[in-house]
Amino acid sequence: MAEQSTVSRRRSSASRRKPKKNQIPFGVALVAIIVAIGIALGANNPKLALFWVTGILFGVILQKGRFCFTASMRDPYLTGGTSITRAVLIAFAITTLGFAAVKYGYAAQGLPVPGMSYVVPISIATIVGAFIFGVGMVIAGGCASGTLMRVGEGFHMQLISLFFFVVGSLWGAHDFGWWKYNVISKGKAIFLPDVFGWAGAIIVQLAIIGLLYIAAEKYEEKRKAS
Amino acid sequence: MENTAVKKVKFFDKVKENEYYKKWIKSPLTYVAAAMLLSVFQIATLASTGNPWGVSGVFAYWGAWMFEAVGGTVDKWYYFASPGAQSTLDAGFLSHAGTWRNLGIIFGALGTTLLASGFKIKKIKSKKQIVAAVIGGLLMGYGARVAYGCNIGALYSGIASLSLSGWVFGIGMFGGAVVGSKLLVKYFM
Amino acid sequence: MNEVVIDCLGEACPVPLVKAQNKINEMATGDVLIVQIDHSCAMKNVPEWARKDGHNVEVEEVDDGEWEVIIEKA
Repeated sequence: MAEQSTVSRRRSSASRRKPKKNQIPFGVALVAIIVAIGIALGANNPKLALFWVTGILFGVILQKGRFCFTASMRDPYLTGGTSITRAVLIAFAITTLGFAAVKYGYAAQGLPVPGMSYVVPISIATIVGAFIFGVGMVIAGGCASGTLMRVGEGFHMQLISLFFFVVGSLWGAHDFGWWKYNVISKGKAIFLPDVFGWAGAIIVQLAIIGLLYIAAEKYEEKRKAS
Repeated sequence: MENTAVKKVKFFDKVKENEYYKKWIKSPLTYVAAAMLLSVFQIATLASTGNPWGVSGVFAYWGAWMFEAVGGTVDKWYYFASPGAQSTLDAGFLSHAGTWRNLGIIFGALGTTLLASGFKIKKIKSKKQIVAAVIGGLLMGYGARVAYGCNIGALYSGIASLSLSGWVFGIGMFGGAVVGSKLLVKYFM
Repeated sequence: MNEVVIDCLGEACPVPLVKAQNKINEMATGDVLIVQIDHSCAMKNVPEWARKDGHNVEVEEVDDGEWEVIIEKA
């Protein structure tokens, strides 16, 4: 970030300059704790260590990338920016390919396909739940992953948000029986390869992602021009 | 004694000036780079755990354990009735893989912030933020259960799993985000 | 050449960006807007928006976890 100063200004309110503390030792200490926890978990149950490590990695990537799914959906409307939206689409595309490769590998060998529990019935509940989630995440200033990330960054607001996310989840779990019986059971799960075949499904989905990407780019240009 | 302390401080200050520290640890990732890395580990998650990444399902269990801690019981609820759910509940949160992954996200974010020497506690600035956090959290929690997941489990993992439900979720979530933005500007800014 | 400072410390996600966008519209070319932030999202999305709109941008780390985004309206 060694930019030439292109901005002409006087030394202004950068006056609150107290000497910066060096937090790196704390960072190193935390890394040591993280490794220790990983080893302790792994000794008893390797699965827990695996989940711990993947969580750490996701947390690092999300934080370093300032990656926010909330922003991907909120910014197009609120600020006209679609850069995160497009990055999310890229993530969808790459992950689709990887998932399909893994899944196809199992299917082709006649083995049960992993991850099928995430192919869930589509019903009004999907739309309503997603809508409610969308409203909540923008108001709360972070989605599920974003909230966890911001707790780690020291935001008290997201600590509160997390607590009530848990409460809301319990409430939702309580009502889930009603939703399942009255709404979700009327719906159907649709696994795209069942409809288009494996190759077809991948092509269709990537094509849609591609079109959305182009639309997002054009939309940002249009909003900027106005 | 004091000499080593002074030496340690100087060492870490030198680290801060190091070019690799600045390039690899301090500077942020581009959105696209983050998207690619997330994809790599999502795929690794599916391959190594048998399931894609999910975040909000864990919160329902956290809620159940909290509820049980104050004397409640969820065993009669449809959501927790299955044998799998019952055994997860009985095993407790320390044995819950998803719990450790979510905690990992928190620690990962904390760690990288500290290493980049950019950690700061951000306290609540106004009552509006509290109200927003409460309402937003409740809505997210409830919505995620009803729709089988959140931005990760239902949207990201759903779409990547070639499930049409992921796209439907995305449409609903987008609509909600627009409405949420209007509410944010009107009441919470 | 005016200098305007907006204190966005402690503000939640889109708020610094929205406030900056609104404020810059009220300012004249050559004026400088200084946005004080402590949100990592804003440390990225405010400069990104400002650069895309053609302004001169500088980001200064004022303290651990605190930045000033200095925008000169073009």
